[in-house]
Amino acid sequence: MKIDEIEKLKVRELLQYTGELIVMRDAAHQKLLELLSKNSQLPVDLNEKIVFYAGPANPPKNSKIGSIGPTTSERMDKYLEMIFKLSVLGTVGKGKRSDLAVKLCIKYKRVYFITPSGAAAYLSKCVKDIKILAFPELGPEAIYNINVEDFPLMVAIDTNGSQIF
Amino acid sequence: MISKREIFEKLSNHIVQVNETINPEVKTYIDEYKGPFSQALKENYKIAEAEKLPLCQDTGIVEFFVFLGNEVILEEPIFSTLNEVVEKVYTENPFRFSLVSDPLFERKNTKNNTPPVVHIFQVSGKSLEIKFLVKGGGSENLSALFMLKPSIRVQELKDVIIGHVKENGAKGCPPLHVGIGIGGTSDKAMVLSKLALTKSFKERNQDPVYAVFEEELLKDLNTLKIGFQGLKEGVSVFSVHVEYAPTHIATLPVGVSLDCYLCRKGVIKFEDR
Repeated sequence: MKIDEIEKLKVRELLQYTGELIVMRDAAHQKLLELLSKNSQLPVDLNEKIVFYAGPANPPKNSKIGSIGPTTSERMDKYLEMIFKLSVLGTVGKGKRSDLAVKLCIKYKRVYFITPSGAAAYLSKCVKDIKILAFPELGPEAIYNINVEDFPLMVAIDTNGSQIF
Repeated sequence: MISKREIFEKLSNHIVQVNETINPEVKTYIDEYKGPFSQALKENYKIAEAEKLPLCQDTGIVEFFVFLGNEVILEEPIFSTLNEVVEKVYTENPFRFSLVSDPLFERKNTKNNTPPVVHIFQVSGKSLEIKFLVKGGGSENLSALFMLKPSIRVQELKDVIIGHVKENGAKGCPPLHVGIGIGGTSDKAMVLSKLALTKSFKERNQDPVYAVFEEELLKDLNTLKIGFQGLKEGVSVFSVHVEYAPTHIATLPVGVSLDCYLCRKGVIKFEDR
């Protein structure tokens, strides 16, 4: 997805997304924040990436990919400006976000998508590839890169700040 | 004596099953739902069951409610058995390790989803009944305790609960199961609210006054139009259950616990023959 496509998206619009997602949640965001505060180099490049707030389950035997689904986005609101400053194009999660998140989507011209929660077996079938990018010691909270095909998304906050919830 | 092996085998199978197989009471509601993402939710439970994958990646913290008969003899403290059951189930299945050891400083993942939370209630007789919840973190974050004035009117109490669900319900993967614990002390009210979540949707309180309270609250909460996924379509709350206990004249503790739409729970009973 490119910047100009992001600006065209309207709230409630449904998409079948094919491409890359960066999977990270609470602990990984906190680690990135700590690295930035020490002016250290980050272990991931978030430029023009979409961040998916999730932590996958362990994969079944003979597979790399386990059940995966969104976690509550609101917990990540305090890190949202940090990742927008790192040129993240949008975020994916579940549930309503704070007023701050809406303001940041307007300010940086970014979007927030939701994807169905409690549907992790289904979503795992849209994941074609997964690899750990950073912080493997965090287990399900490590940063992963996933490639998805026809991954269901709904625009929950658009770049004008219009929102579903 | 009830053998450790018997508890271990039956309970392990049951915990695996509730993580992978849709709650039959919930299935009816999903099948009727036609709103956004309905196809994904229907496909999800079919794939999970067929491929033995967890329905949700958040395979939760397991919370046990153990009703232990005073004439029951066990091979070891029940907590040890339950701990081992959880370790086996979560390390041998494609589930997630969602627990961290100390909660504040290191937050190091325990890598086996232990320890579970265990509440033990001593009862009379020769049976051992174990109820459990597989409780996800998203809905757990919406738990609340209200220390209300004892003179509060019933409608005011309803308004407190309705206000809480209205404000937070969309974040807990609705439709929700609402558990309410009234009375006891602050801690007791919270435990009772969790215990209320182990009930079947159609079950009603044995006390007719509380049964009416449950039904009225269910009706009121469904006027909130939170809907599946918080997208305002479909039912908002599956059921409401109250557990109550005597309390101090100066207090009215009320615990509220919400369970996500998957309502992963089980009950299993053993007899000491």
